Amino acid sequence: MGDALPHPELVAAIPRLRRYARVLTGESTRADDLVQDTLARAWEKRRLWQAGTDLRAWLFTVMHNVFVNQRALARREALNVSIDAEGDAGEVWQIPVRPAQLVRVELAELLERVGRLPAEQREVLLLAAVEEMKYEEIAIVLDVPIGTVMSRLSRAREKLRRMETDAPAPLRMVRRP
Amino acid sequence: MTRPITDEELTAYADGQLAPERAAALEAAIAADAALAERVAAVRAQSAALREGFDAWLGEPIPSRLLAAAVPPAAAGPWRAWRPFLALAATLVLGLATGWFARDALLERTGTPTTFARSAAFTHALYAADQRRPVEVGANEEKGLVTWLTRRLGVQVHAPDLSSVGFALVGGRLVAGHEKPTALLMYENAEKQRLTLQWRRNDPGVDETAFRYAIENGVGVFYWIEAGCSYALSGRVDRAQLLAIARVVYGQLAAAQARPPAAN
Repeated sequence: MGDALPHPELVAAIPRLRRYARVLTGESTRADDLVQDTLARAWEKRRLWQAGTDLRAWLFTVMHNVFVNQRALARREALNVSIDAEGDAGEVWQIPVRPAQLVRVELAELLERVGRLPAEQREVLLLAAVEEMKYEEIAIVLDVPIGTVMSRLSRAREKLRRMETDAPAPLRMVRRP
Repeated sequence: MTRPITDEELTAYADGQLAPERAAALEAAIAADAALAERVAAVRAQSAALREGFDAWLGEPIPSRLLAAAVPPAAAGPWRAWRPFLALAATLVLGLATGWFARDALLERTGTPTTFARSAAFTHALYAADQRRPVEVGANEEKGLVTWLTRRLGVQVHAPDLSSVGFALVGGRLVAGHEKPTALLMYENAEKQRLTLQWRRNDPGVDETAFRYAIENGVGVFYWIEAGCSYALSGRVDRAQLLAIARVVYGQLAAAQARPPAAN
């Protein structure tokens, strides 16, 4: 009805959706656009959500699909304009690291290193290490076999570890191609 | 224990997600090999650092456009034309049912106190349930917190001392509410029950009100308007207890406002 309030469970999920969206898009404004599109899609498809199951995992699934579809569409459009559309435009990490929010500078550097991973490795890292989801749940969210989840995760962790030991690159606030 | 251990398995083991039979085999291998043990520890340390780093993002205020996107979409079709009337009717019914007067319904139409109480209830539900990061600035930095909130609200903020009713300040944060910054102060008692006091400045011309009570999804809210500000005290405690605490808050704020600003 007219005086409807934001749905409390959805509101509670928004900070985690924003975080996932930032990890996917690598950019704050596009991330919030993605969250908004995801919430709209979730309302449209709300009958597909089974009450009693994990709402967060379902919303992540919806977000992942919205992201993949939008990216495919953007690539097709880009191809009409130019053949040089190979790069993952918009997936370059542009999230400013705000030291005020981070207690330690090592953490800011860690997030910056995460930004240098491909989007598909970033998302599996977020879902497994940060959200602490089960590999089976992640496989459902990403719609890939569980073996793929495990190999992406292990590669992501290994790359992160190597970046840390190899090149102590200076902390850059914004990276562009 | 003949099959070699893959990187995937080691990661899964560190994440506690390897099938039990295989996990037992890895456990034995790790016990016998310091280098393996070190790799497992490194994966776990990496996860902990990632959680700490990425959790910092969770405390950011939610933009109003995303809150709006969390509102159930309006009923389609012929209902649409009836919406303003239905909204008013619903407000009136709700108002009568909970003992509010028509004046409140009108106030809500023009934009506030009851909307404020409801948004206070869900903001409370959101942050009071957060175990890791319920507040942005802790009570150990109370002075800085008060200064910051005062500056953002444009009105002097005080953090009432609720020790007489068994609650201690946890800290506070700024939250987004109806195009206006709202200060949130959180308190906790020995039973880990949490209360929030939310506070924001009103537009000129909003009438003062006595204490009013509302309950939303199990969160009780006492709210009132005084000296150009709206206040809401929320918590999952019973009405009588919440009222008693609201009186303490009210009394302390009145006393603080009567004091000259130089006293701070």
